[in-house]
Amino acid sequence: MPTTRPRRLRRPPLVLASAVLAALLLAVLSGCGSASDSAGPSPSASAGPITVTDDAGKEVTLAAPAQRVVSLAPSNTETAFAIGAGAKLVAGTSYDDYPEEAKALPKIGDFSTPSVEKIVAFEPDLVLAAGGIQEALRDKLTGLGVAVYEVDPTSYDGVMEDLSELGRLMGVEGEAAAVVAAMEGAKADAAAKVSALDKPVTFIEIYSKPLMTAGSGSFIDDLVGLAGGTNLGASAGEGYPNFSTEVLVEQDPAVYVAMSGSMGEPGDLAKRSGFADLTAVQSDRVYVIEDNLIARPGPRLAVGLRKLAEMIHPEAFQTQ
Amino acid sequence: MTGGARGAGRLGLGLTLVVFVACLAISLAFGPASLPLDKLLEYIGAGPGTSEPGGVIFWQIRLPRVLLAFIVGAALAVAGVILQDLFLNPLTDPYVTGVSSGAALGATVGIVLGLAMLPWVTALALAGGFATLAVVWVAARRRGRIDIYVLLLAGVTISYLVTAVISVLMIRAGEDMSAIVYWLLGSFSGRGWEEVQVALLVLPIMVVPLFFTNEMDIMLQGEKRALELGVEVERAKRVLLIVAAALTAIAVSVSGVIGFVGLVVPHVVRLLVGPSHRRLLPIALLGGAALMGIADLLSRTLVAPAEVPVGVVTTFVGAPLFIYLLRRRRS
Repeated sequence: MPTTRPRRLRRPPLVLASAVLAALLLAVLSGCGSASDSAGPSPSASAGPITVTDDAGKEVTLAAPAQRVVSLAPSNTETAFAIGAGAKLVAGTSYDDYPEEAKALPKIGDFSTPSVEKIVAFEPDLVLAAGGIQEALRDKLTGLGVAVYEVDPTSYDGVMEDLSELGRLMGVEGEAAAVVAAMEGAKADAAAKVSALDKPVTFIEIYSKPLMTAGSGSFIDDLVGLAGGTNLGASAGEGYPNFSTEVLVEQDPAVYVAMSGSMGEPGDLAKRSGFADLTAVQSDRVYVIEDNLIARPGPRLAVGLRKLAEMIHPEAFQTQ
Repeated sequence: MTGGARGAGRLGLGLTLVVFVACLAISLAFGPASLPLDKLLEYIGAGPGTSEPGGVIFWQIRLPRVLLAFIVGAALAVAGVILQDLFLNPLTDPYVTGVSSGAALGATVGIVLGLAMLPWVTALALAGGFATLAVVWVAARRRGRIDIYVLLLAGVTISYLVTAVISVLMIRAGEDMSAIVYWLLGSFSGRGWEEVQVALLVLPIMVVPLFFTNEMDIMLQGEKRALELGVEVERAKRVLLIVAAALTAIAVSVSGVIGFVGLVVPHVVRLLVGPSHRRLLPIALLGGAALMGIADLLSRTLVAPAEVPVGVVTTFVGAPLFIYLLRRRRS
């Protein structure tokens, strides 16, 4: 049985090239961490300009609630629909797949190569961007008089803050508050069930070749903590690092959660070289979770949190 | 060939063997999981069936990964020697001649179709590599002979075309895009015995060019000269091209696209031991294996428990070495 905790290593300095490469990979994953402190004025708007602070720390001001919104990420589209502002979306990305209505939206292109021309052609008063590579778009769009809100949360709480801010910007504070309350509820429910229990070492597999995990400062790392686990991947640094298979076997996590979906299916772990003797495999503690439930910074994180908590602490949910 | 050169060649091969064995031992001895050396011998003695964590790490994770890196490095270096000398062009490598792009396209199609597992990926990579070779071949055929200059130009062109097709597939693939990106970056992470079994196919293939060392030496002086000397140039070209394509496609199918080794190792070895293929081929084989092995060792250990992409390391290790040797030769 695993008794050793993963050592919290300071992040070692990377060579420049690998840092650039890592930044590129992060951008692909829409991960890139940044401050998610939003200290905007308290919500009391109904008339007058609305000012909020986005995840890049920039102030976003609208004279009136947005009526024509363009989303540049599937998670943003999902959020807009969840807080009852789906009707205000005039365009989304070609990857938008949830909810079903999102698929019918006009498309501005895919996530990594949104075209400024196409965005502006929809005459939006608000653009919902993601972090990383999309930051370069901000200057162009704001220069053309389009407000840009960057959604790039690094924690569960950060996602809830974004939901509230977007509710204000789009004039749907009530619905947004209800969704936030549901997310708060899921968090409190998980805390009530797991906070007193031990925190088993948990490994999150994002991809198998190369073996990739969620590092510290990612909201997946935050979710694992909220679900009552210790994230082994946090020892490999920030963002979404490749993880050593040798160290995985050495640390021998009690719980193994593999993501399925956009990066393919994890398959049978016992068939992989060296995996058959893992404690998680031997004790049948390998789980598969739909990636969109824990990898997308949106309202469905509440569902993802609940599922993760059930995987890490099945004993706490047996009587339910 | 003078007696002195032959002696130097033998010495070179001996030295390379020593370096090769040393690199193999170092690669097996060190890794992100710190297995003490005395324990390591115990694990090795216990055999592959052991279920002790240290034994599992050595037999199931470290050993297959090290073997895979060595085999892929050897295959890419041999393919590099063949292609550079066949095309009489120092900038040629498996990645310029369209063969590896074709193999990459095959594997990309595999990912899009949900066939991203062995042996399908290997079959598709081989199919892609040979299909590109066939197109290039047909383009370069003039009255039953292959014009190597046309072959090179066609190869480069097809390479660009195929890369464009991969880009289109990536955009169309949407959700599979990240998987394709990681695959194109190349890595030995997450690979095991299954990949080694496939990679072992390159061993008998790497023996084939050893039977053509005379032809390759003569062809270095140009095809006309080779024909005058009665060398069956066309047959040698056909066989060697197929060998290079097969080596590249198999390597690409187990590890993704890893650059630089196939380009630089042949040059480094040529600078050290000269152009004669009887020495060049085996030394490049061992040198490519050793370089890739050390590159993967660094990739595994530098920022453990995270990893640096191995392609980044091969470039960082290989580029300064190459520049140094070029400068040394000039002075």
